[in-house]
Amino acid sequence: MPAEPSKTSDSDLLRAVARGDEAALAACYDRYRLILFGLILRILNDRAEAEDVLQETFLQVWRRANDYDENRGRAFTWLVTIARSRALDRLRSQGSRERIATEAAAEPRDLIGDASAETLRSEEGATVRRALVELPEEQRRALLLAYFEGLTQTEIATRLGIPLGTVKTRVRSGTIKLRELLRD
Amino acid sequence: MVHEDYKEMLAPHALDALDTTDARAFEDHLSGCGECRAELGDWRDTAALLAHAATPATPPDELRARILSAAKQTTAASARVVPMPPALLKIAAAVAFVALIGGVIWLWRRDVKSRQEIARLTREITTQQRELARSRDALAHQRDLVALLGSANAKKMELTGTAAAQKARGTFVFDQQTGSAMLMTDALPAAPAGMAYELWFIPKGHLPMAGKVFSVDASGRATVSDLMPPEAREKAVIAITLEPKHGSAQPTGAIYLSSSS
Repeated sequence: MPAEPSKTSDSDLLRAVARGDEAALAACYDRYRLILFGLILRILNDRAEAEDVLQETFLQVWRRANDYDENRGRAFTWLVTIARSRALDRLRSQGSRERIATEAAAEPRDLIGDASAETLRSEEGATVRRALVELPEEQRRALLLAYFEGLTQTEIATRLGIPLGTVKTRVRSGTIKLRELLRD
Repeated sequence: MVHEDYKEMLAPHALDALDTTDARAFEDHLSGCGECRAELGDWRDTAALLAHAATPATPPDELRARILSAAKQTTAASARVVPMPPALLKIAAAVAFVALIGGVIWLWRRDVKSRQEIARLTREITTQQRELARSRDALAHQRDLVALLGSANAKKMELTGTAAAQKARGTFVFDQQTGSAMLMTDALPAAPAGMAYELWFIPKGHLPMAGKVFSVDASGRATVSDLMPPEAREKAVIAITLEPKHGSAQPTGAIYLSSSS
């Protein structure tokens, strides 16, 4: 019984989805469509493709909600991970076909953000964006390249023309700082 | 690589940014390292937060309906694995557990019973072997006795109980020619621990001559074969005394049975 969708916790929502509760799936969609669509769109930079991937994502959630184990991480992480992998898979299958003009990882516009869109998303989103702005530029760049373009550390090194060791340090320090900031 | 090297891989692993070789090595390490496994969730949660760096975007309204109707046509996770309410699942688990314990106890008991049965049968076999040996001995004694009694030179003496064993009786048969002799007792009291009966031949004018040392069964019976010394064959007193269990060279204990002359 998915009570008031807004009050149900993410984990409870996913448990209801796992039981085959269609209303729970709808509630899950309503809660996450903005962030997931934003994430997918950022990776693919193509609305039609992004809509497709968003649908694939929620169908996977519908079929595989059983796999979610709240002891191993947040529901948010589970959902976002599915959306990101699906989007990155789609990106790779496109191959070098008209490689997206704008580099997904380099969009300072997002970080500065426009306040009206911000209100749609949680406090958590605002905290993360603030945290990212506080990170040294080169660390942020490395993290965003890994996250939105799915690049490995070696690929990042090649892209930026810097030593692999430097990339490793940046990725590691950046993630640690993000983690610390979020713990406060 | 050491544990510390792998710990440094937690962050890039959570971002899927490890190169293939490192990723494989890390997965291997992870399967055996509880500490890294425990930390991984935390790092993944951190990495997932990067999704907030993307500007939220609104998908077209009709997508919601499209997704929900596609879901309706797709088998939900739960339809494939018949769902059990958590309470029922717990009961089922409890029942299975109790059944398992029951099974273990049953097997254990069966094992104990089998072992008890084997022990019992072993004891029975030992007892029967002992009885068989006793019967064989008895048969041999009877054969000896028959042979002895069949001899033309056989002589028989009756032994009577003394004050120490008034109910006891005995028969002593011997061949005057060969000296082969047999003693049969009845109703001799069981010898105390560490003690045994000893047969004595006491020829007239001689010191007692030691014969066999023996014990009796529950009814005080014993059948003892011996060889009589030549000195005793003409005329002697036959006596039974209680002695230390390995016997004595000369009688030390009380007389229990003796012939009249």
